[in-house]
Amino acid sequence: MAVGDLIQPLVSTAIVPAAFGGVAWGILGGALPGISPSITMALLLPFTYGMDSTVAVVLLASTYVGAEYGGSIPAILIGTPGTNAAAATVIDGYEMKRQGKAGEALGISLYSGFVGGLFGFLVLVLLTERLSSVALAFTPSSYFSLGMLGLSVISSLAGESLLKGLIAGVLGLMVATVGTDPVTGLNRFTFGSPELLSGIPPILVMVGLFAVSEMLVQTTAPGWEKATRESARIRFPSPAMWRRIARPQAIGSVIGAFEGMMPGAGGAISSFLAYNEARRWSRHGDEFGHGSPEGVAAPEAANNTVACTALVPMLSLGIPSSNSAAVLLGGFLMHELVPGPMLFVQHGEVVRGLYAGLLVANIAMLIIGYLIMGPCIWLVSRPKPYLMAFIYALVVSGVYAYQGSLFNVGVALGFGVVGYALRYFAVPFLPMVLGVVLGFMIESNYRRALVLSNGDLSTFVRNPISAALLATALVVLAGSLMRHSKSRAAAR
Amino acid sequence: MKARDLIFGIAALVVAVVYYGLAAAIPPSELADPIGPQGLPKTYAVLLAALSLLLIARSARHPVSNSEPSNLEPANPEPPIPSPQSPIPRVTGMLLIGIAYILVLPWLGYFLSIAALITVTIYFQGGSLNARSVLVAVSGAALFWLLFIWLLRIQYPAGIWPSVI
Repeated sequence: MAVGDLIQPLVSTAIVPAAFGGVAWGILGGALPGISPSITMALLLPFTYGMDSTVAVVLLASTYVGAEYGGSIPAILIGTPGTNAAAATVIDGYEMKRQGKAGEALGISLYSGFVGGLFGFLVLVLLTERLSSVALAFTPSSYFSLGMLGLSVISSLAGESLLKGLIAGVLGLMVATVGTDPVTGLNRFTFGSPELLSGIPPILVMVGLFAVSEMLVQTTAPGWEKATRESARIRFPSPAMWRRIARPQAIGSVIGAFEGMMPGAGGAISSFLAYNEARRWSRHGDEFGHGSPEGVAAPEAANNTVACTALVPMLSLGIPSSNSAAVLLGGFLMHELVPGPMLFVQHGEVVRGLYAGLLVANIAMLIIGYLIMGPCIWLVSRPKPYLMAFIYALVVSGVYAYQGSLFNVGVALGFGVVGYALRYFAVPFLPMVLGVVLGFMIESNYRRALVLSNGDLSTFVRNPISAALLATALVVLAGSLMRHSKSRAAAR
Repeated sequence: MKARDLIFGIAALVVAVVYYGLAAAIPPSELADPIGPQGLPKTYAVLLAALSLLLIARSARHPVSNSEPSNLEPANPEPPIPSPQSPIPRVTGMLLIGIAYILVLPWLGYFLSIAALITVTIYFQGGSLNARSVLVAVSGAALFWLLFIWLLRIQYPAGIWPSVI
């Protein structure tokens, strides 16, 4: 990709304001404890419906970038991570704040996030298109196998219980069967409701599972500590500090790049891994846990790298590796953009726009991150009942705005209850989201492949791409099964 | 945790049975391919039933265990709900506020409905019902009105006001 390909979208569309706006929204959302990047994105999702598709995906992806940094603000100021990925930042960030170095910690977090984000951006641009070019030769059987590979990711995403993750995945597949049958046009599970004829849009499932269920959980959770305005004037690192944190930033960036592309790893795990490795390789290892700047730099570089590299499997193969990537995938689908092989051929301008937007978003993070500190502290310090009321109003208004339907608001609330139940039973959401997102692709291509082969099931292994994808799915599944059984044996 | 697993397994089994019944009731089509519109739904139902039975069996085998032994990092770390004293009334209350909003929106219109939702939620979440909270709700409604109706041009129900005025 030439530099001109990145510059052209910047001058012809509203990408720059979208990137700045998304980053600002992401930082504000990430700064609220309990509101994860995926929830921040899900809240924004309905608004993007009427937008130009490139602007919409840039807005969502920039929100992801901003939220990863935003999570470090309450982690440093009040010792409560705004996002799961910022949990590692609490260890040294909050300690620095207690030592009167909150501004320095925030500056290191922002600068490290910027460095990590740029590294992740480079990895994204260099890898994604190459990976997707393989898939230009896809047939219905290959698409089916790709869907199965996507589903095999569930085994990595299932967390503690593979069985419960698989159940959630099948439930998602069931949700995807609601609506008009993709081959015969018959209505299935619509109960005579015209609103269900076109199926249940993934966006409603995501808003319900992520945003509404979180709101229901927060309704019984205690409030969080308030931040003080004087504690938070950002101080960017001095040249000596730049040199000191360069190594942990590099460690965080490399770990974030790999982990971001791995299904289920996400920002939280990469942050802790980066923290551990930075401590191991540090000359000041004994300072970790006692307010080490390196202990802030490594996890923040890692989780901002993840915000870009998590898009590699999502864009190239249509497989989301994290909650946030799944919500972004929902944004693509809402605009009838199907991530995967054909995206680069049919909608190359959207991909180039997204790349340009992500580059701008990482630069915007430095500027907005500095300017928005005051509003963030104001927001975090609002009484919880007021915040909850505004989030609720945003959810119901946003869902209605998607298709102008009150029925949709009811569906989103319904999935909020499902999400709450899943949390209660400690069942991960993402397998269900994967099932909903991949269900249509799996069913329609499975049946089309069988129609084309006159019902011959061997079509799925005779096609080399399909066979390779199925074999990869089996390897992923077997690897996860082994990991699960090993950890169970170790626990016993 | 095992008791919760057992309940979840039974609930999933019920879903599988009901879903299978609904899938079996899908009328056949002359256009149908070898699999047909019932094919995959039935397969999903059987798969869900099998997985549920496995979960039930696993939970029943360790009825006294309180936690699931595993040192795996949660790959999708949604925080589980920690069993607060009585979450159901509060959760139900929040849902009822949402349902009430759906019911009153066609009558009251967007501005009043969203202002009412904000006011009631503030009160339900433990805030005081005073001039400040009402002012915040009205300001919030104005903000949302500007964003959705004026800026984004979303067509919300106008309510009974146009006919009254």
